This record gives sequence, structure tokens and C-alpha cells, in this order.
Amino acid sequence: MPGVSSDSARGALVPLSPESPGAVVYPLRHGLKSPISRLSISWSRGNSLRVSVFAAPSSDGSVNDGDGGKVVEVKLGGGDGEISEAHWRRIAYGSVSPFALLQSRKNAVSSLSKMSMNSSPYDGDWWDYIMEYSKDINALLVNQKSASVPVLDDTKSVITKGEEPTSLKAAWELLEMFYAEKPSHSWLPERLVDWLADYDSLFSGTHPTVHSKLVDFQKEFVNLQVVEDDPKYWEVMSSALAVGWLNIVVKMLRLHGSYQLDQLSNRETENGLVEAVAVLISKMPRMRLEQEAGKLGECYKAKPDFVKAWEKWRGQINKLDSSAFWFQCAHQQTREGLRSMLQIMLGNANSLCSATYNWIELYISHFLYMRPLTVGLESMYSLAQKSIQLKPMASAHRLMGLIIGILGENTEVVLAECLKGFGPWMVAHAIELLTAGSDHAEMLLHEERQNLGGISIEELHRLVYAQVLSSFPLTWQIAPIYLISCMKHGMILLQILLSKQPVQDNQLLLKRIEICRLYELHSVTSNIMKIAGVHHWKHGRKGSGVFWLQQARDEYRLNRIALQLFDSVGKTISDESFKQWEGLIQLLGSDSKTAGGLEFLHKYRDFKKSLRQIHDGKATDPARQAVESLISLMKNPSTPQRFWLPLLYDSLKLLNWKERPLLNVSQTNLLLNKLQELSMARLRPDFIESELPPQALNSVRLALGTNLGRAILEE
Amino acid sequence: MAFAESQNPLRVHRIQQSRYIDAVRWLSPVSPSDRFAAIAYFDADTNSPSIEIAYVDPNPQSSSPTLTPQSSWTSPSRISSLRTAHSTPQPLLAAATFSGSLHILASDLINGGVMESEATVSELGFHSGPVSAVDLREGGTECVSVGEDGRVNLVSFVGDSSKLNYRRIFDSNGLVGYTAVKWASPSEFATGGYGFGIQWWDQRTPGGPVLQFKGNWCQGKTSGIVHSIDIHPSRKHTCLAGGSSGTVFAWDRRAAQQPIVLSGAGTGEAPNSLLSESEVWEVQYDRYTRRSNIGNISSTRILPVMICSEDGILAVIEQGEEPLELLAEPCAINSFDIDRQNPSNVICSLEWESLAILTRS
Repeated sequence: MPGVSSDSARGALVPLSPESPGAVVYPLRHGLKSPISRLSISWSRGNSLRVSVFAAPSSDGSVNDGDGGKVVEVKLGGGDGEISEAHWRRIAYGSVSPFALLQSRKNAVSSLSKMSMNSSPYDGDWWDYIMEYSKDINALLVNQKSASVPVLDDTKSVITKGEEPTSLKAAWELLEMFYAEKPSHSWLPERLVDWLADYDSLFSGTHPTVHSKLVDFQKEFVNLQVVEDDPKYWEVMSSALAVGWLNIVVKMLRLHGSYQLDQLSNRETENGLVEAVAVLISKMPRMRLEQEAGKLGECYKAKPDFVKAWEKWRGQINKLDSSAFWFQCAHQQTREGLRSMLQIMLGNANSLCSATYNWIELYISHFLYMRPLTVGLESMYSLAQKSIQLKPMASAHRLMGLIIGILGENTEVVLAECLKGFGPWMVAHAIELLTAGSDHAEMLLHEERQNLGGISIEELHRLVYAQVLSSFPLTWQIAPIYLISCMKHGMILLQILLSKQPVQDNQLLLKRIEICRLYELHSVTSNIMKIAGVHHWKHGRKGSGVFWLQQARDEYRLNRIALQLFDSVGKTISDESFKQWEGLIQLLGSDSKTAGGLEFLHKYRDFKKSLRQIHDGKATDPARQAVESLISLMKNPSTPQRFWLPLLYDSLKLLNWKERPLLNVSQTNLLLNKLQELSMARLRPDFIESELPPQALNSVRLALGTNLGRAILEE
Repeated sequence: MAFAESQNPLRVHRIQQSRYIDAVRWLSPVSPSDRFAAIAYFDADTNSPSIEIAYVDPNPQSSSPTLTPQSSWTSPSRISSLRTAHSTPQPLLAAATFSGSLHILASDLINGGVMESEATVSELGFHSGPVSAVDLREGGTECVSVGEDGRVNLVSFVGDSSKLNYRRIFDSNGLVGYTAVKWASPSEFATGGYGFGIQWWDQRTPGGPVLQFKGNWCQGKTSGIVHSIDIHPSRKHTCLAGGSSGTVFAWDRRAAQQPIVLSGAGTGEAPNSLLSESEVWEVQYDRYTRRSNIGNISSTRILPVMICSEDGILAVIEQGEEPLELLAEPCAINSFDIDRQNPSNVICSLEWESLAILTRS
């Protein structure tokens, strides 16, 4: 734990790790004037630390403003710079449904394969499911920030601006193409070419790239009069050609000055050469499944067709290269520029190396012009190694590490790169792709490990992701989806998660109970209800408290709070405040099982009601009802002893009923016995004296005695 | 269960907000083509609650409607309840907070939707704890607020005083908590609370509720909380309520203590009418009906009702018919509002920080 450093007077929190030079300093604005004596640090929600700062008491004992302490929250790190927290939450919300759908399909497939022993679980629709999952997740990663930027159709703009790419999406697409697409590895090189075309700009931050060179040139280009005189024009075109951005190259070539009408006549040969190269580029044979409309190049699905076309194309390039027209081309830059482009197309290793700026670009150019028939991860991996040797670099971009891991067929490295570069969300969701088609990866990730406490790597990463979700107030509700997919520890962690949420907010409380209901966690539900009940009760919301305790069927606590309620009953249930009680008594209902000791209130209310109806002392029927209520109250064991005397005192007018005695002999005897019991109980030290006039006991005794006499006479 | 898509065209647009939405309401438009909505946000990153007026472009050139923020008001605490009164061109908003204060806001829709706080009650004794529900009297100058603390307050705002006067109508001292409230007439309103109880109040008869609907009608089954009440202006004798366990019921004051259960608890004999088993957060009479005239519907029959629920259902229930499901989301629908002027438009707030706008045609 970080301690208070020597410069704590300035109020900065410095981690005590002098050996790490990259320590981050978070300034604390606690506003305390006096020196700090103590610091306490704990985790708050999400990435925040809660720091409690205690000031030293001032030496002279005086109390000043700013003494005492302050609690401040320190938000650690910004996380991923390219994706805001709100976007992360959006990704988290959106991935719930695809994840849950895939899990349920997986369960269905595995139960099906158990039934028919011989069939492999990964047949038929399986790859469609995986692909659907991957596409759903991929769709979430679209950066909405710049999606609405209009694409300018400017003749002078070389690169069009679309949505701003993110490394996260780039990484997911890599995983998708290598693991989710039904293994068709012969297309992989061309898929990588497309991938780089989309995401080359991501590397620009840390490395020089073709994309950044293009962007730079674009800026200058607007002010250029004679474009072909600028060596950069040729340089950039060669680079773009090397990584296969044919459309851009052809568009740029056609901006060559020789195309201008006024110059066409005297630069005819030159223009012919430029156009010949442009045509050759646009006719480049590609070995791929399909070509997007408007993209240049000719695509071949079958290898023999491709090889034939490839040889023919190379022959045409060779022919052009050795043509005599070059001597007639007067413009030196054009001549040299075009011929170096031809060298690239012919797969000249040196040309490719000098036209590209990092190993991935070099790697891609090798696929395009030197080894278009590369098949299999092994050869792709060795080619990558070769490219890295040719273009080594000091620091690797997180996507580069991922590519190496994938090509090296090392699942652990891929997972580690995902975690390091893209965080727990990525790992938890990428595992589904990694295990999709590889038995080896599945064994590795599903094997229960002693060193992980008996859980698999897959479960570990799901738990980690669920933990991250749980720590944020808006995402904890989706953590259960991931927790229940964890066989070993998921359920218990879910119970902990649900139990530790705050109870203050009613809506959140109900949402929590709903989750419990979905997963049939009845004991957690009743615990939550008990906690909520006590919380409400303590904050004076007696009705809410009673409701929740009733829902939890917590008789123990209901009886306890009943005792407290009776204290206030004795004082307030008199007359006007009766309406306040009415609602609570109604809430209790007549079902004594859930009412606990509060059943008494219900009967007491009935008694009071009938008593009030006979205030004139004449109505005999309500009086009889009141007697019934009184007797049943006095018989009922749930009636607290301290209410005996007030009840009897309230009933004085019943006992002294003028017309005739309302209570018979046995009833009177019962009440006399209770009175006797009460007199004995008064001798005990824990007896609670009711707030009645001191002569109350005597007047009740006298009334009972008189009533007994009258009742005997009547019988 | 019937799905809306198959029967009549329904356009649904989901708009990401990147902030949690505590409540959403339509504002009455100035002109028939305008749509304004008041949205209560909570920004979890900065811990700041606010109310915004947004212009909803219902039919832009692109396929989905857009939300253009017009003005914003920063609230001292999260909004627990938001209601609007339909007066033009300055609709009033009543916003109650979790810290126990009440704010009356006015928005000038003609001049760019500028929102101003007209008046505030935040005194210590107003409510203890959160205000659970508030309702503005239609076209009037009064609103009623209730809380789980058992207080029922009547707040009247007249003229230009920025401090509101409130009158305590009732205080149960916490013995009864209220979670929903709705005006029925200028002097009457209904409240709802724990145990599916409903209370009927009349200002002309002070001292407590004049009628109580016993909450224990679903004996033996799980009881619950009323989250929302609606009363139709033409059927003032009937209170519509929605609450826990997917329960939607109506209480006809003229009838006995027996509720008319439209969905959920107590409908054991008709399992097909079980639309949802979780909390019904809001109920409103659905004024959008294909029938020619609601006058033709017998007065004992409950008018069509729209509900939203914790398990992501937005549906229309008609008594004795299959419920019509409009939305089935993977997350909770916490609140919705039907446009008074054009009831084919519905706006609802989803748990995952987004809004959905539905257009029925």
C-alpha cells in the first residue's frame, strides 16, 4: 500500500516504488490546512480509490475550519485512450445478448452430441453460430464518434475518411478471420491485406506507416502544381502499391501531369507509359473469394486459374519493363518512378523493403508480390519472422504482438496479448472464438487447474470480467450473465455480488430481487429483504420495514419490531392518529403467520373500533362485539402483558354496563385471573409500568368484582 | 402472445445516450410537427444528474429520428419522479429528487426550449428521504408529492415567488409509505403503496384517505408494491395500477374490494395473460386505439393499457384479449410516455443507457 511520502505536506500521493521510473502521481485536492497525520486508502467503485485524509489536531487545541479530515476519490488511469468509458459500457451491454445466445446454443449442441455419441459437436450449424456471435460483437465495436463524417468526393483527395478505426475492432477482426471463419486458410493472406488496408492508420501513432505518409502527402498535394516533379509523389505511390492499395495508386497515377489536355500532345509516350502501368495495376490477379465492387484487381478462386493469370501478368510487366519506350520518356522522375513501381510488382525484395515502413507492411507486400500462394499458419509464421528480421523495431504495437501470437499458434500468448492490450472484456469474449475450432485450445482453456483453485482458464477470465462489471454502478446488473456461465465459482460469487449491493434505492433493490428470482436464489432474496426491512425500519419508514420483513417471513424480527411498535401504540393509537395506523394494520392483513407479533395490532384495532361505536353507552350490539374482542385479546398469547391493564381500563364502561352485565362468570373470572397475574408480575424488576392513573388497577378490580356479582346473580 | 410487428407496422429506433436515464416525458408541442421530450439523466462518470429538453426530429431524411438537446438544467440530486403539465407554449415540469426536494421548471419551447427553474422546495421537513412520486395537476398550479416517509404534501405555485408553499395533507409518520400518486380531479387524487394498496384522497375531506383499497387481495400469493397509477379523465371511478410480479390491476371505486386483474398475480386461472413476472414500472392508458370511439366501450370495461417492465416488455393490454407486445428488450424498460397529442408516438427509457422511440402507424 502506498504510504505518506516525505512531501505529504504538499498533498501528493506517491506510490513507494522508487525502482519504477514510470510512477504516476495523482494530486489530491483535499483542502486541509493542517498537516496530515493519517491516510486511509480503500477501493471505491470502478477504478476509483477512496482516500480518507485525517488532519493532525492543531497543537494549541483550538478548532479551526479545515480541521478534521476529508474523503476524496482518486480516479486511476484513463483506461483505454481510444475508447471512452461510455463506449466501453455500450460494448459491455451489447455483448450480453450474443454471449448468452452462444452459451445456450453451446449447451444445446453439447447435450445433443451426448445423445448421439458418434457425431462431433462442431458440425453443421456450429460454424454459423460462431460466425453470428463474432459478427454481433464486431458490430458493437464500430466507433460511432466519426461515423457521421461525410465522405468527400474530391478529385484531389487521395484517402477518404470514414469511421475512425479502433485497435479493439482491428484485434477482433484478426481473431474472427483466424478462428471464426470456417477454416479456409488459403484466403488468409488476402484477408490480411484487406485488414491492413483498414487498420494501417492505427500503427501511425507509434511507427511510420504507409498511411501516415499518404496523409502527409495529401496535405502537401493540395498546393502542388506539377505533381510528378515531386519525388514524394512517386515514393508514396510505390508504398501504397507495395501494400496493395491499388485504387489509391491508380487514382494518383491519373493525376499525373501528362493526362492534362494541354500537355497530352507533347507528352504522349510518357502518358502511354503511365497509363500502361495503371492498367497493369488494375489488372493484378488476386487469389481471393470475392472482390468488393469497385475495387481493382482481378480475382480468381481456383489456384490453377490464378497461377495462369499470374504468370501472364508477370510476363506483361516484364515486357513493359524491357520495352524501348522508356528511352523516349523525357521526364526523369516519371521514368524512374514507374520503373520502381514495376520492380515492386515483380516482387523485387529490395524494392518492397524500401517501400514499406514496418514489418507488417513488408509482410503484406511479400504476400502480394512474392508469395501469393502461401498457405498454412506455419509458413505464414516463418514469413512473419523473416519480415521482423528485415524490419526490426524497438517497441511492438499491441496488435503486432497479437498477430505474432496467432501466427505462432500459441493460445496462451494470444490470451496474454488480448489481456495486456485490450483488457478483460476482450479475453472473456475472445475465448469463445479461440476454442471454437481447436481441440487443443479447448483442452487448454477448459482444463481445471490446481494452481487456479480448480477452475479453468476460461472460467478465470469470465470471473475477472464479471468482477470488473460488478465494480461499476451501471454494469453490475450484467455481471450475473457471465457468472452463471462459470461452473465452479460463479454461483457463489453471484450470491456475494447480490448480497453486497446497497439497499437505499428501492428501484435497485427490486432489480436485485428480480435477478435472484431469475436464478432461484431464494435465500439471497430473503436476506436482501431482511436487510431492506431493517434499513427502512431504522429510518422511520415503519410500513416499508414491516412489508419487507413480512415478505421475508422473518418472524423473529417482526416480533422484535412489534415490541417497539407497541410502545408507540400505547401512546398514539388513541383517537385522531387512528388513521395513521389504519394503513399499517391493513398491510399486516389477517394472515397471522406473516404478521408475527403484530397480529395483536389487528385485533386491538377491531377492539378500539367497536369501543368507539358505543360511546353513547346504549348500543348493545357493538358492546357485545367489543366484549368478544376483549376476551379474544386477553386469551391470545401474542397480546403483550403490558397491554392487559390498558385494555381493561379502556373497557371500564363495558364492565360497568348499566342495562345488564355483558360478561358472564367465566369471562369475568378469566379477566380477574389476568389481573392477578399482572399484580404478581409487577413485583418483577423488568415490569413495564403503563402510563395510566395510579388508581387504574383498583378501579378495574372493583369493576370486575361488581360485574362478577351481577353475573352470578343473573345466572 | 401476439407480436405487434406481424399485425401493424411499428417503427422502433433506439438511441444510445451514454448516460443513465432516470425518467422520460413528452412535452406538449407548439406546432403539430414538433416533438419535444424532457429527459432526466444521470451521468455516472461525473456523478451529475440533470434534466434536458430535447427536440425529437420525428421524420428526418435519414431513417432514424434524431435527438437534439435544447437546454439543460442541473439537478441537486437524482430525479426520482418527473411529470409534465400540458400547457403551451411553456410546458411545466415537476421533478422530485432522491434527496427529498421538488423543483418546478418551465421550458419555453418557442425560444429554443430554454429551461428555467421556476421554484423549489427543499426544506428539511418537506419529505424525509426521497420523494417517491409526484404528480402535476393538469393545467393547474398544484402538485402533490408522496414519499415512503408517509407524507402527502400539496405544493401550490402561484405567481413569481421562487419559494414554493406546501401544505401537509397527511403524515402517517412512516407507518404507511406511498410509492405512486395520480390526480383524478382538481380535488381528488389516488396514492399507491406497499401490499398493492391504493388510497383515495379528497381535499374536501381532510384528515386522511377517504377510501382505501385493501392491499391484501392476493392472499397467500406474494404481495407487492404499486409503482404507478393512472386514471382516465372519462373514467374517474377507476384507478389503474401496476406493480410487482407483473401485476396490473384496476380498482373500481364503485365496486367492492375486489380488483380487476389485467395481468400478473391472482390470475392463476388464466396463465396466458401472464405477460411478465417482474416489476411493472409504469402504466398508462393507451389513447392510441384503432377503435372509432372509446365512448363505445362499456364503462365497466377497462380501456387499453400500456405497460413497461423490468424484464424488458413494452406491451398493450386489453381486458379479455391477448396482450400485444410492442418491445421485448434484453434489458429493463424503466419508464415510458405516450405522446398526448399524437398517441402513436411512444418514448421509453431502457436500462442500458438508451432511449427507444416507437412510432405506430
